[in-house]
Amino acid sequence: MDSGAARDMPCALLGDRASGKTTFLGLLYAAQVKYGTGVTDDFRFHAPIQSLNVMSAVYEGMKDGRFPSATLKEEITELGFVFGYLRKVVGKLPYYIRQQNWVHPFSTLRFSAYDVSGEDIEEFIETGIASRPLIQQLLKSVVVAVLVDCSKMTTEIDTPAYKKMLRYDSTVAKLLVSFQTYKKQEYDRLKDSGVRADAPKIYPVFVLSKFDTLRDDVLARLGLHRGFPENNRARKEYAEALLRVFVPQTLSQIRGGKVAGVSMDKSAYFLSWVRTETHEGMDPVGQAKIVRTGFAPEGGGEPDFSYDEYVNFIEHFREIAHKIPDEILEAERFQAQVMARSA
Amino acid sequence: MLRPEGHSEFRGRLPVPRVVIVGDRNSGKTTFLGLLYAAQVKFGSEKADDFRFHASFESLDEISGVFQRLMSGAFPDSATREGVREVTFRLSPPRPKLGIVWRRKRNPVSDDSDLFRLILLKSFEDDMARSLETGSSVGHMTLNEALVSDAIVIMVDATELAASDEQAPHAPMAKVDAAVEALLTAIQRSRAHGEATSVHPIFVFSKFDRVDPDSLRLLNLESAPPDVRKRGPHLAYGRALADRNMPKTIAAIKARKDRGLRFEAPAYFFSWVRTDNAASGRGEKIRLRHSGAVGWEPDFSSDEYLAFLTCLGDIAADARR
Repeated sequence: MDSGAARDMPCALLGDRASGKTTFLGLLYAAQVKYGTGVTDDFRFHAPIQSLNVMSAVYEGMKDGRFPSATLKEEITELGFVFGYLRKVVGKLPYYIRQQNWVHPFSTLRFSAYDVSGEDIEEFIETGIASRPLIQQLLKSVVVAVLVDCSKMTTEIDTPAYKKMLRYDSTVAKLLVSFQTYKKQEYDRLKDSGVRADAPKIYPVFVLSKFDTLRDDVLARLGLHRGFPENNRARKEYAEALLRVFVPQTLSQIRGGKVAGVSMDKSAYFLSWVRTETHEGMDPVGQAKIVRTGFAPEGGGEPDFSYDEYVNFIEHFREIAHKIPDEILEAERFQAQVMARSA
Repeated sequence: MLRPEGHSEFRGRLPVPRVVIVGDRNSGKTTFLGLLYAAQVKFGSEKADDFRFHASFESLDEISGVFQRLMSGAFPDSATREGVREVTFRLSPPRPKLGIVWRRKRNPVSDDSDLFRLILLKSFEDDMARSLETGSSVGHMTLNEALVSDAIVIMVDATELAASDEQAPHAPMAKVDAAVEALLTAIQRSRAHGEATSVHPIFVFSKFDRVDPDSLRLLNLESAPPDVRKRGPHLAYGRALADRNMPKTIAAIKARKDRGLRFEAPAYFFSWVRTDNAASGRGEKIRLRHSGAVGWEPDFSSDEYLAFLTCLGDIAADARR
């Protein structure tokens, strides 16, 4: 797999404190390992050493039944993977041809997630000035993945969980609007400079994390059943029914992106859950232990989690890679032109 | 660095309707803006997806703070009120159908949108009084905003409406009436020799859930305004209240001028938000209602707010002509 030619896919992963960001990345890594070692061999991934060090430690812990103990903040600020997807045409070629050096069977993209401190985010929201390079990098994200912690979804409006969700909704809405504003202003700048660029787009991804902790009374109140539908339209309706109640500002600003000139209409929705050990009639003491799957020919001893959802998540990036407007490339070309002129 | 949407750079490209909000202290200006935002969030996140708005990043920090308070059952506190000065947002242009609701056929939104700036004129009464006392022309920085506005929202605190004929000339509202009249006259004077333009006066009767029933009985009005979709009766209800309580302002609006600025026919809206007495006697708490798939929201006159937004859309359409 030629990771040097990978197309960049900067992805902002937004999540409240203790919303399961590290667990999400750990499970994403676990899904990559499993998906990347499948018999069909149509997905491969590569991780730089720094990312690999962190993620393999998280993965080891999960295989040992433990949740990650701390955030990535102390360890690393940028987590990168290179995803390689087997090209459909190549997949139909005989094996011996696929093995030839001149065949590039995988289309690749570089997935990067950034960990930015809450203080830096607050400063940026207040001032509109992206003083830290990491924030500048974050603004270039094409995909914005928003983690919505289902354990904080409550219909009891005087509880701290309800208020936390209110605050989180405001913060995410503000960040999304900042992303939109940045994209629109960059687009206008390119246009004014005579560079042709496609209208800016951001691909929002909502991950309903800790879905197994979503309370029955919340679902009943909203007229939802526990299972997440498979059909895309039904998934959207199901997820939006939850978002409408718990993060309405975020939902309205995602839709509103279009009237501000940055389409965010192609949202995708995924679930994340990981099964934990429960003892009937008893509350767990301390951190719950992750349930692991039994051993089978396709693998075993893995955390028991929403694997299919994570595979869908990985495949979603394949779809986006084909749709990404060229404004990032155009912007890079434009920067190169400016630098060449000033040299 | 992100540039504000109301930035001068953008002003030259498209007309940005400027709406100033004037009213007495504690007339509910910040709550009005907060509820306007709440209405936009409500309609902008509905399943039908036929209403879209986009708040500018420079406004969102403050207004979402107000929203958080309202959604927690609290009115804006003094710190929040102090922070909110201006709100800028985009609305997709309305396509009227069934009165106030606009819908699209296949694509629910168009790529076009109108940018609005809603500017709170803080301490409006003090500013006006200062200008009049010193005999100077209306030149205060905040009032300058009003001079170039496309619409003026006049907040009328419904709890201060005159409850009897004798009370009317001395009612607290009389002071506001005089101040608004002075402002409108100043605007008209300053734009008398310019090109023909118009300003839209909009009356918002705030705190209407707490209006004195005698104020309404005096005018033979029902205890609540007619449904905003019944345009005629709704307009007549508002007009009756404004004619009685804001006579000088109405006279200034009606004063016909052959050239320069003219005032359009006023629009009227009613704002209310239901409250409960908080436990332990700590003032009032906004009542939250659970409305189907929308979740929790303040129990407020959301239809009036939607109609107000439609009215803004009409003003933008006017400005484009």
